Amino acid sequence: MEIKILKQDDLHIRFLISGIEIPVANALRRIMIAEVPSMIIDDVIILENSSPMKDEILSHRLGLLPLKTDLDSYVLREDCACNSELGCSKCSVTLTLEAEATNTARSVYSREMKSENPDVTPVSDDIPLLKLARGQRIRLEAYAKLGRGIEHAKWQPVSGCAYKYAAAIQIDPKKCTLCKKCVDICTKHLLKMENNKIILTEPLDCRLCEECEEACTVGAIQAKPLKDTFIFDVESNGSLSPERLVLEANKILKEKAEEFITQISELKEGEEE
Amino acid sequence: MMVPIRCFTCGKLIGDKWEEFAKRVKNGEQPGKVLDDIGITRYCCRRMILSNVEVIDELLKYYELEEKK
Repeated sequence: MEIKILKQDDLHIRFLISGIEIPVANALRRIMIAEVPSMIIDDVIILENSSPMKDEILSHRLGLLPLKTDLDSYVLREDCACNSELGCSKCSVTLTLEAEATNTARSVYSREMKSENPDVTPVSDDIPLLKLARGQRIRLEAYAKLGRGIEHAKWQPVSGCAYKYAAAIQIDPKKCTLCKKCVDICTKHLLKMENNKIILTEPLDCRLCEECEEACTVGAIQAKPLKDTFIFDVESNGSLSPERLVLEANKILKEKAEEFITQISELKEGEEE
Repeated sequence: MMVPIRCFTCGKLIGDKWEEFAKRVKNGEQPGKVLDDIGITRYCCRRMILSNVEVIDELLKYYELEEKK
């Protein structure tokens, strides 16, 4: 297996992975979407709310607020021994919000939420949570917990996670008449003629629309996917860094595979007895 | 009522980008170009920002009037 990072920044990672089967690539994608845990507000206790926004709408908005997640210091709610409704210090973080509009109407931003753990804060300081008219007040306590996207989409740590086949365009120089029909029809303008030869300039950008294959009257060009090579695009919503996300997904996949092997071997032992 | 925090379709964080968008469009910039500039590329996220109306601003006026009485 070979992995090459093509592009990376704070929120995105694009990498080429070769030497794996489609089911493995798909398992990785599905785990990143639904099973990598992230921290999200799950319980809200509203102590005072005189704003035009109703309690339910406000708590729904708070539930969608992505928080920076510290995966190493917290455990999932179902794995925690505390069994309490609002969680303990191992499985939940309390955030409080107290705001008042004294002179004029104003917006309340995510930066005003105070967290008991400075590592678990909203990913951006400038998210408007609600608006208050003059004299209105809001006071609430919110409990953030680790959870998985499989339970509720608010826990999804990715806002885009997809893979596509890497393309292999084969041009037969013996059949090619250099009519340039394929160059003109390429929707992404990736084919070029150089030194009396048609070449594919950016093979990674090809989306395999097969227009070039159809346009070629002599059948010299073939657009086929490489069977074991994929280009992954992962976009994090800020709760985890994209490389941590991919590593975490790998860890979960490995744990699942090991669990499967132990279960199978237990079954075999049972049969032998 | 207010700009949603995340995109309904993909879940990208868009709430923090609304105020910059609204300010720049008010100053006469092209909405499409502003969206490109603040990094909202997919059409699901673009419609979230483009079609948003801050109804809460209208509601606030009534609350303030009531207080004046």
